[in-house]
Amino acid sequence: MEGQTSLVSLQKSVWAGRIPLEIVLAPSESRSFDKTDPYLVCPLDIFEQIAFVDPYEISYPRLSYLPSLLPRLRAFFSPSLIEPSSQHHDGWFAFEGVPLKWHYPIGLLFDLYAGADPVTKSTVDSQEGESPLPWRLTVHFSDWPSEDLVRLDPDGMVMNDAFINSVKEADFLRNGTAKGIMSLSKEDSAGLWKSVEDINLSSFQRISNTLLPPLSQPFRNVPIRIFLPLPPDQENSSLKVVQSPMPPSVSTSSIQSSQSISSRSSPGMQLQTIGGVLHTLLPNLFPSRRTPVLAKPVLHGAVLPMSAPIEEVVRSSAYGDGWAYVVVRMMG
Amino acid sequence: MASALSAFPFLTAGDFEWACRDLADRTCGCGGWSSVRLVTENDTYLRITRCVDVLDTIEGPELREAQELEDEDPVCKPPSVHGKARTWTTFDDAHSSFLTGGAVFSPTYQVPVLYFTLRWHNHQGPLGLDAVYQYVVPEQYRKELKGVGVIGGISFGYHPASGAPAFFVHPCNTADAMAQIADARSVTPGTYLIIWLGLVGHCVNLHVPRELVASDDPSPS
Repeated sequence: MEGQTSLVSLQKSVWAGRIPLEIVLAPSESRSFDKTDPYLVCPLDIFEQIAFVDPYEISYPRLSYLPSLLPRLRAFFSPSLIEPSSQHHDGWFAFEGVPLKWHYPIGLLFDLYAGADPVTKSTVDSQEGESPLPWRLTVHFSDWPSEDLVRLDPDGMVMNDAFINSVKEADFLRNGTAKGIMSLSKEDSAGLWKSVEDINLSSFQRISNTLLPPLSQPFRNVPIRIFLPLPPDQENSSLKVVQSPMPPSVSTSSIQSSQSISSRSSPGMQLQTIGGVLHTLLPNLFPSRRTPVLAKPVLHGAVLPMSAPIEEVVRSSAYGDGWAYVVVRMMG
Repeated sequence: MASALSAFPFLTAGDFEWACRDLADRTCGCGGWSSVRLVTENDTYLRITRCVDVLDTIEGPELREAQELEDEDPVCKPPSVHGKARTWTTFDDAHSSFLTGGAVFSPTYQVPVLYFTLRWHNHQGPLGLDAVYQYVVPEQYRKELKGVGVIGGISFGYHPASGAPAFFVHPCNTADAMAQIADARSVTPGTYLIIWLGLVGHCVNLHVPRELVASDDPSPS
């Protein structure tokens, strides 16, 4: 990738990514309709039917979090709710019966669960086949699945806290200390979260640039998490996540080593790639660090090139909390 | 005894696993905790359960301060904490509330993280943060813990191995604290874990049993 310009333009595209959603109220919570009634489906025009929401919000930003949809969904479904006393923060989402962890951005949840074929260079113009879009989710406003999901609060503080904790982890990995995020002013800390909530890239960049090491200075470690494919039976819905300290460059002589603490590029070092990370952490799924054989890495709905340097991936394509969440998808 | 730690004040995943096994072995039948289990689901971690004696679960939905009771089990005599005798019961006692805590290794911070849940036998699901501050966090730590971060030094999250909702004590200053408390030259994975638990466990009343600390000191001075 050629310098800062491409990083910035890639980041723009990532921030512009959206997923069409179709959200239905859980049939058991609706008093107006029975299970089979097609009116239950309140598809894309859910947003068009609510006067205060701009119609362009037919699809939802990949970088957003599900709870931000709840106030408008609560308002939209309020005539149908069996339990009219429920509040927006009682709301939770499920996909095919699996409660969705709201602290993950929607784009990651989609890549994990929707079963959509990731886009590659060759398929980007020929996506005419079967599409999982819009992504069909169920919203509930009662029976909180307390064994699966952390409860929300009316003021959104729990969501805000989860986001900031995640930012703090990314900051710690990049700099070897979380002092950057911890010394942010209250205003900037709140502003960072708001910029992600509002998908306001320029406001985000202003604050996050104070946290990121300059381009000339490599990260100490790269905030990257690998999500393994879900077992087909879905019996155990807990996600398998792999993470290990990943310096942006590795020694050419000991390319197998994942424990290296050194992070500075120097002679004898080469940039760590997505393929290198996958091969190191998951050698059975990724026997080669250059070619996907059994599985492929997916980020923001697209197949990641195995040769992409991990620091560039994170600098250009991280989610709002600073992490690259890469989903492993089996091939064939 | 394992040698001094290569990554101090951090731990490596290997050191952590070693320390968990060691602690689980040595706490068999140890008083103070009702159970200590080494779990090896996805990653190795430690699960410690103790009864929380401040919850009265028999009287109905209102939580209230419980009475202090004498432990009647001579085999499992509880340690005296802050001058009070505590009651410890088993995990499956139908009338108890219990705190399940555990040490989980953080691949980000390279230190153990204390995850815990508080349950009440007839309350569906784990209890919330208010109950944690009211019944689990000792009074002297409450103000300090509540004053940091967005909602305080205890956050909601998901247990990294089981994926279940759990609280955790913020780990971002753990390494700094360990560097000040532990002696870099002599600390082993086992002593690291016990010192850490002594440090962080205090915040949520998960104290290290006295026998464990005593047995860990090979040369009392």
